[in-house]
Amino acid sequence: MLLPKFKFHEPKTEEEACQILTEYGEKAKPIAGGTDLVVNMKKKLLSPEHVVSLSRIGSLKGLEKENGFVKIGACFTVADMIEAKDIKENVSALSASAGALGSPLVRNLATVGGNIGSARPAADLPPSLMAYGATLILKSSHGERNVGIDNFFKGPGATACGVDEFISEIQVQTPPAGAGAGYLNLGARKAQDCNIVNVASFIALDGSGVIETARVILGCVGPIQVRARAAEKILVGEKPAQTLFEKAAEATKTDCLPITDFRGSGGYKLAMVGVLTQRTLKIALGEAKKNT
Amino acid sequence: MKELIALTVNDQEYEVAVTPNQTLLDVIRYQLELTGTKKGCELGDCGSCTVIMDGKPVNSCLVLAMQAAGKNIKTIEGLETEQGLHPIQKAFVEKQGVQCGFCTSGMILSAKNLLDKNASPTDGDIRKALSGNLCRCTGYQKIIESVQAASEEMSK
Repeated sequence: MLLPKFKFHEPKTEEEACQILTEYGEKAKPIAGGTDLVVNMKKKLLSPEHVVSLSRIGSLKGLEKENGFVKIGACFTVADMIEAKDIKENVSALSASAGALGSPLVRNLATVGGNIGSARPAADLPPSLMAYGATLILKSSHGERNVGIDNFFKGPGATACGVDEFISEIQVQTPPAGAGAGYLNLGARKAQDCNIVNVASFIALDGSGVIETARVILGCVGPIQVRARAAEKILVGEKPAQTLFEKAAEATKTDCLPITDFRGSGGYKLAMVGVLTQRTLKIALGEAKKNT
Repeated sequence: MKELIALTVNDQEYEVAVTPNQTLLDVIRYQLELTGTKKGCELGDCGSCTVIMDGKPVNSCLVLAMQAAGKNIKTIEGLETEQGLHPIQKAFVEKQGVQCGFCTSGMILSAKNLLDKNASPTDGDIRKALSGNLCRCTGYQKIIESVQAASEEMSK
């Protein structure tokens, strides 16, 4: 299986990467781990004239906790996200999402920026990042801008990232006291599969134990990840309880319209969205109670 | 246009002329002629092309050759020493963890990475560590037993 021909660029700094992307515009594609782009190029679904590797740029590989944010460099690998103390201890649902992605071999190459940038509806990282309300830093030769991840995805493979831009960092706010999140995915196998459905839930409790904020994100059930607004509405202002979570799970059925495909029927996916919503809310509640 | 890249494979330094659209797997098999690394699905699904790159097992079919410049690579050929086969290789032979052999190089390298980090893994640890390596012959049981046996032998 041959790769189409292309010119390869390997900038050493973010500035250099910006210059190259500005010069070649839509003829160029950034590459990090390559676990998505190389596959699509081999399948001839994509054949960029210029491939710009971001993997030699040291400043894109950092991880730090600062002012209530976990800041993850776009080229931080998914394997490292599972074990990184700052991620595991502060944003555990993200660490769980990383553990669900691909296989150990893929995770050693794949990066957080790549999993977001490739914008697949069944991707593992976006639901938890959306549950935590993450912000993406996009860089170009015009400077940098912040985009909330809720506004980033535009369709399968389509994002708010301009052709001359690249994702440089992902900033995830650490949940305040009384808040927590959970992530679960359902696949046909335990590893090396594409999700049938995935869900991330976030809840924040106020001082009296009432749900102040709720975010429920559904993956694989639309062209982009879906905010389950009806479910969120049921949760906010109530005290967490199994019956409440069941009601919220039921409400997700009005939040999305999954298609029937070879991975499962629309009806099955809808039923599983409910199950995962309920279970992730339970995990989120456990995390929220731990986080005092 | 070919470009010269330098990389270390099995502790030996190489300089190879590569084109941008070559993968690390292509370089290893066709230029370095180390054919123990297998070409299976070529899409990162099967794990038969597993090599250890800078201490981490990866699918070499997904790594562009130019991205591997300067990296330290270990392939299955790098495991045997003057003292003989690596204990994991020996265990695969003794416990019959090999049938057709196509997945074996990848299985052994993923297992090596596991045992380097965790000397006495559970059954679950082994299955998880090998979950990116597909075998269509053995049903995995003999492979798990081989890794288990190797871990016992290496802990002695």
